[in-house]
Amino acid sequence: MDSIRPDVLDFYLTLGTKVIDESHDQDTTDLDKCIVYIRDSASNQETSRFQILATGALGGRFDHEAGNLNVLYRYPDTRIVLLSDDCLIQLLPKTHLHEIHIHSSLEGPHCGLIPIGTPSAKTTTSGLKWDLSNTEMRFGGLISTSNLVNEEKITVESDSDLLWTISIKKTGLPVENNTP
Amino acid sequence: MSSAMDVMTHSSSFLLPTEETPGKRYALVVLNQNLPRFTPLLWEHAKLRLCADGGANRIYDELPLFFPHEDASSIRHRYKPDVIKGDMDSIRPDVLDFYLTLGTKVIDESHDQDTTDLDKCIVYIRDSASNQETSRILATGALGGRFDHEAGNLNVLYRYPDTRIVLLSDDCLIQLLPKTHLHEIHIHSSLEGPHCGLIPIGTPSAKTTTSGLKWDLSNTEMRFGGLISTSNLVNEEKITVESDSDLLWTISIKKTGLPVENNTP
Repeated sequence: MDSIRPDVLDFYLTLGTKVIDESHDQDTTDLDKCIVYIRDSASNQETSRFQILATGALGGRFDHEAGNLNVLYRYPDTRIVLLSDDCLIQLLPKTHLHEIHIHSSLEGPHCGLIPIGTPSAKTTTSGLKWDLSNTEMRFGGLISTSNLVNEEKITVESDSDLLWTISIKKTGLPVENNTP
Repeated sequence: MSSAMDVMTHSSSFLLPTEETPGKRYALVVLNQNLPRFTPLLWEHAKLRLCADGGANRIYDELPLFFPHEDASSIRHRYKPDVIKGDMDSIRPDVLDFYLTLGTKVIDESHDQDTTDLDKCIVYIRDSASNQETSRILATGALGGRFDHEAGNLNVLYRYPDTRIVLLSDDCLIQLLPKTHLHEIHIHSSLEGPHCGLIPIGTPSAKTTTSGLKWDLSNTEMRFGGLISTSNLVNEEKITVESDSDLLWTISIKKTGLPVENNTP
């Protein structure tokens, strides 16, 4: 509660919003605290079915952004999507083969696969302009950025947890009621 | 181990209103995001000024906004990039023509998936004659926007560990601390901090040790999926960092206290 304005806090308290005040903890970001709340409050059945979408996790101070990216890695069994005006980011855990369905009126074509935490010895993809084929990716070497989606379905398989990111289109969003 | 390592010192002196050590010049690269509010200061003290593709649009459109009482055209003539480089798919034709007429060197490169515009500019600076006179490269606009762009720009720091590159935004700066050195970071507290972090991007760190932070590390392991040092605070004027892994150091930049008010630490 070190950022919320007093008038804003009062307004929502009056409206009945539940306010949970937590002391500052170096090891967890505000996003982390919210993820924990959501996981604890929903039943196991529910959490396995829904995703958590978060806006405002990117940009600003880089240590905040890194802490928020780390939340994706700390809860690999929880589906969390980080959203901004420009893009979305989600974790692709190494435990699964991933199929990503592209809604081309809403997202793309710019995309990337980022081995943020640890190098990947072998990643294989399909459906991208520049597919990977048992390709090594690492910071200091090759990482897949400024790639393009080429098909409606992208597949990714890797020995390492990767971040998938895709651009969000400026036009074609729901306001214009554009269905793909 | 510490006694055998060379020391690398870091200082954000480029944010000071008057160049503390005039001998230490830098090259400036402007990328395609909103210009930070200290851009005019960085521009003035730069030895070499590059715009990466759409970064030229930013200089053209946004620099005059920093000088609302002056004629936009004279600002544009005064703040002329030495070089514009990139794949030229973002720069506006009118902006390109304007700087070509002014004598800016324009280097058109076809799109290469493996290198970002920042990468292309780093290569240019390293290859150019001015490189001997520049101690480091400052880049604005490398953060924010599309995350794959940002990741590609962070990767540039890892791909050129022997080149001092500082990424700058309104909110923070980022630089690589190579594992080969013991690092001393001098904090200009009127300009930066207190919020800081050490991020093991790319590979985990088995052992990192620091001094001068609110929450120091002591042979501490850091990894994505576990602990990384974020929302830390600088506690002293000198921070030291030693690690078995290349780390990103980041510190917040203060909203007030910047050169406009002629604040010297």
